[in-house]
Amino acid sequence: MKYLLAKATDEEILSCGECGGAVTAILKSLLESNSVNAVLNIEKRESVYDGVPTYITNSDDLIKTAGSLHCAPTMISDIIAKYLKDDNIAVTTKPCDAMAIDEIIKRCGINRDNITMIGLNCGGTVHPTVAEEMIKLFYEINPDDVVSEEINKGQFIVELKDGTEKSVKIDDLEEEGFGRRENCQRCELKIPRKADIACGNWGAGKGYTFIEINTPKGEKIVQKAIDDGYIEIKEPSEKQINIRKKIENIMIKMAKKSQKKQLKTEYPIKEEWDEIFSRCIKCFRCRDICPICNCKVCSLESDYFQEDPSIKPDPLMMHGIRLAHMSFSCCNCGQCEDVCPMDIPVAKMFQKLQKEYQNDTGYISGISEGKPPMYSGEKEEILE
Amino acid sequence: MTDDNIKIVGFCCNWCCYGGADNAGTSRMPYPSNIRIIRVMCSGRINPEMVFKAFHEGADGVFVGGCHIGDCHYDAGNYKWRRRAILIRHILDQMGIDQRRFKHDWVSASEGAKFQRIMKEFYEELSELKNEQNIDNTTLEEITAK
Repeated sequence: MKYLLAKATDEEILSCGECGGAVTAILKSLLESNSVNAVLNIEKRESVYDGVPTYITNSDDLIKTAGSLHCAPTMISDIIAKYLKDDNIAVTTKPCDAMAIDEIIKRCGINRDNITMIGLNCGGTVHPTVAEEMIKLFYEINPDDVVSEEINKGQFIVELKDGTEKSVKIDDLEEEGFGRRENCQRCELKIPRKADIACGNWGAGKGYTFIEINTPKGEKIVQKAIDDGYIEIKEPSEKQINIRKKIENIMIKMAKKSQKKQLKTEYPIKEEWDEIFSRCIKCFRCRDICPICNCKVCSLESDYFQEDPSIKPDPLMMHGIRLAHMSFSCCNCGQCEDVCPMDIPVAKMFQKLQKEYQNDTGYISGISEGKPPMYSGEKEEILE
Repeated sequence: MTDDNIKIVGFCCNWCCYGGADNAGTSRMPYPSNIRIIRVMCSGRINPEMVFKAFHEGADGVFVGGCHIGDCHYDAGNYKWRRRAILIRHILDQMGIDQRRFKHDWVSASEGAKFQRIMKEFYEELSELKNEQNIDNTTLEEITAK
């Protein structure tokens, strides 16, 4: 039982959740059977552009987190590492969350046995302000009228208050500079296989969630949800499995193309970087938001690296050090770029470095087994 | 004749490279006096920040010397350093610093002659680099003057 199709049995979850609501149902089963103490999940607040990580202990609150939130990209791995290290919780993880959690596990910041990872397949997310703008421009509707959104078959679909749906092809949006965030366009991991189970709509028929079981723990929680009557399942057909595989491959191919474009042909040259770095005001937001970079004592704050605050900061003393500390572990979540007040393409820089490191050592952040070679004590031969 | 304006910061490991520098000195082998040696216990102790800090403070070149692979006093320190050096090169590229300004090599305590040769080579490379840059700057000034 590696692949299966599932949907929730609960009527409320069925109506609120995306493609059958299997994820919410499984989370509910985990919480109600006391397999976990709590669920860490993204809750929709005021609009579809507003997602807040929420710690849920009461299974009745889970319904608020049902449904997709492509316009509110938020990472949760650093929250676990900082506050929930010893808590037994279930988390929903996008591929980048799963990679970030994996990297923190390698840094001994999270105990894998304590967390149950419910993976969500992800083809990409949209920056909230970009989403509002493009909904105004391409859909010609008030962004506040949108009650839910969905990405399906290459279309970005929004549902309005009155129940009507409007969709535009993502390719058309991206041609105009809208659509998915740039880092999502470059992302190669669409199915989080380090999570216990990976759920998504690719290949699943209408009203069903396609689940891929990755670990024995994943098999156990799905079996428990079936036994307790939270979800009902059916076997996917050969065709559906192939469709899913095909979609994944197309997405990866597209990502490789974007990487080539954004990290090679259109990558800023040295002179452009000088200008870009001269904008840095050393506000430390890229460090603070990074899901992997969360040492208790940050070396950027040591006396040794302090600069005269009245002169322009040296990028080497900020980005250079950050690159040295964690570029090889960058999971390309793109948050650093999102929060940068000076629009420095930080995520591009980090991903490029991780790709170069990958070429040299074969270490893929968040995916390779074992610690990054930077932390190993091995005595191997590297060709110089 | 040496150009005193070129500054090289050299991180040398206590057991090999520092011994090598010592050996060059006691054997009276002259090498450019531009290097400022900082003794560290092991090349595995040197992290990228130290190299960047040296560049930040205005070093023209940074040299890191450790024991030969397999000879580390602490078993595997130089392997760790070598892994870091790979990353440092990529970062220097990204930050727009010429890779030729960063050099690392293995020098044992008996290799005074090797230390001398490396220092001479590095000094020459850096002065060449400085000339290149000066030419670039003057042409730029000429263009703007016109």
